[in-house]
Amino acid sequence: MTVPLGAYVAVSAVLFFIGCAGVLVRRNAVVILMCVELMLNAANLALVAFSRKYGSIDERGSVFVVFVFVIAAAEVAVGLAIILSAYRNRPVVDVDQIHQMKG
Amino acid sequence: MPVGPFGIDPLIWAPLRLVIAVGLALFLVLNGALLQIYLERKIQAVIQDRLGPYHVGPFGLLQTFADALKLISKEDVRAAATDGWFFVAAPALVFCPMLASWVVLPFAQDIVGTNLNIGLLYLTTLGSMTVLGIVIAGWASNNKYALVGGLRSAGQLISYEIPQILALVSVVLVVGSLSMIDITRSQAGPLVNALVLPFPFLIYFIAALAETNRTPFDLPEAESELVAGWLTEYSGMRWGTMLALSEYGNVTVVCAIVTTLWFGGWQGPGVDAIPLLGVLWFTLKVYAFILIMMWIRATLPRLRIDQLMSFCWKGLIPAALVNILVVAALALAFPTTKIPIAIASWVLVVLFVAGIPFVQRRRLRVLRARARASAAPAVRAVS
Amino acid sequence: MTFDFVEPVVFALLAIGVIAGGAAVVLLSRITAGALLMAFTFLCMAGMFVLLGAETIAAFQVLIYVGAITVLILYGVMFTKFGDRPRALFFQRQTPLAVVFVAAVAIPVALFSFSFTSAPPRPGGGDLPALATSVFTDFAFPFEIASVLLLAAMVGAIVLTGRDDPEEAALRRRR
Repeated sequence: MTVPLGAYVAVSAVLFFIGCAGVLVRRNAVVILMCVELMLNAANLALVAFSRKYGSIDERGSVFVVFVFVIAAAEVAVGLAIILSAYRNRPVVDVDQIHQMKG
Repeated sequence: MPVGPFGIDPLIWAPLRLVIAVGLALFLVLNGALLQIYLERKIQAVIQDRLGPYHVGPFGLLQTFADALKLISKEDVRAAATDGWFFVAAPALVFCPMLASWVVLPFAQDIVGTNLNIGLLYLTTLGSMTVLGIVIAGWASNNKYALVGGLRSAGQLISYEIPQILALVSVVLVVGSLSMIDITRSQAGPLVNALVLPFPFLIYFIAALAETNRTPFDLPEAESELVAGWLTEYSGMRWGTMLALSEYGNVTVVCAIVTTLWFGGWQGPGVDAIPLLGVLWFTLKVYAFILIMMWIRATLPRLRIDQLMSFCWKGLIPAALVNILVVAALALAFPTTKIPIAIASWVLVVLFVAGIPFVQRRRLRVLRARARASAAPAVRAVS
Repeated sequence: MTFDFVEPVVFALLAIGVIAGGAAVVLLSRITAGALLMAFTFLCMAGMFVLLGAETIAAFQVLIYVGAITVLILYGVMFTKFGDRPRALFFQRQTPLAVVFVAAVAIPVALFSFSFTSAPPRPGGGDLPALATSVFTDFAFPFEIASVLLLAAMVGAIVLTGRDDPEEAALRRRR
């Protein structure tokens, strides 16, 4: 009795919306970044599940996932760089208080 | 469906097999660490013209047992301000990836935990998980020296992963498979990969010294730097797990990778007749490299953190990239023979080793100019 | 005695791990604990990839996410101080509204996704050869663009966080 495709997609959907809620709900910028990573992971799971269960022999879904890995890594690096350099300017990491564009 | 020996019920054999595998790996790690701690002390003693342990047991062979007993019976000191769960979990996070990597090491023809077709990728992946444990250990100690030591160690480990993986990739390009057994089998007889690809061997060996925190890259764990860095608050068996077991386990895994990729793994005279002899050859080769690492530890001084990082990013990574470029181009141009790759690799080794004096001379000139430039205004400021 | 029950049981455990880890990231007020549980989510995710037969992707997942991104996020957490405050202030003011909207979208989507069914099973054998061939032949150009993207991200991160070396700043001032 193998696990049906729908189960994987459901897990992916639940994780995606947990991450989505996290981005809308938390104040800390680093936590928001973590929730974005959760969303990217959920998308990866859906892509790989469809690719392995339905896809053609050349694994295009998994190739897409490789590129999502690359982009997620680049995004975390640059996002954290932005947060840290803003923190150096004014030592707050609460997104409600990082609202001044000057200085 | 794995039917066990003596026809054991498969439902019992499947989990039993797992337990036996983990137990065997643990047994090998513990005994390996025991032996290596003793070897390290004796070899350092011989090189430093002294005696080393000789009280406990004949030639001091039981010294490590005595040390282990002492560590286990030590009081479990845990500062109240340390971060509860993380402090306790960090040794596990450092130890478990190392234990998990023993499952793909090929000891002999059929004696391997499992022949994963991504065996080498699996090993590098587990190597990158150790970083997390070290950062957590530094953070959980609630001690600024430990934190800085942990972050420095993490930076070192992450940086040296890159030349390590690049060197492994060039070997995989020539062999054509990531499976450890296939890589071993691709080296027929005495024509081991070290004759074909010595430059990646050099790069990997140096990067592996840094990955396992061995001298000359052992700044994060040396006792005279930052009060032992990320290990400061750990004592007793926690220290024993994190430092002794994990480090020597990692050293063994890394030397096993070197043996498999560059020196023919379990192959040696007489293996075709008696397959079990492969274990002996494998162990001898692995311990030869471990002894070389200990020899290096007893000989070379430590690098500072900025020297270490600039050696990685400005020295090893360009070398590894040039290596991949050359190997890939030649493998594509001459797909049937390995001789052009071998020639190119040896030329690169000679260039790398012979180029060191030139690089040193240029850096010395830059440092001297900088010292002269900054000495002048200081004199003006004083007067 | 067949082992058919193993796959659904393992999937259930991994699914619980993934969702519990995700919930922990959103709900916990201690951020380091949240970061570690996020790493646990990534590990369970890698387990799911293995269950699907994509073991190379699983290895990449652990290598990139657990090995690098978690460490980056921990660095970010350690260098920014998010002070002690009552638990309510960890969440935005619009929390109840956001939860209602997200749940309103999430529940139908999750229920709909159960309706997907698999095609007849393909021969197994892992994904390494197919993945490697695809990336380096059909998708070679995006692969090169991804390398340039990583280079740009690396340079950008260094430039954004780089501080002036005091010696070099002094040299520049004197020139």
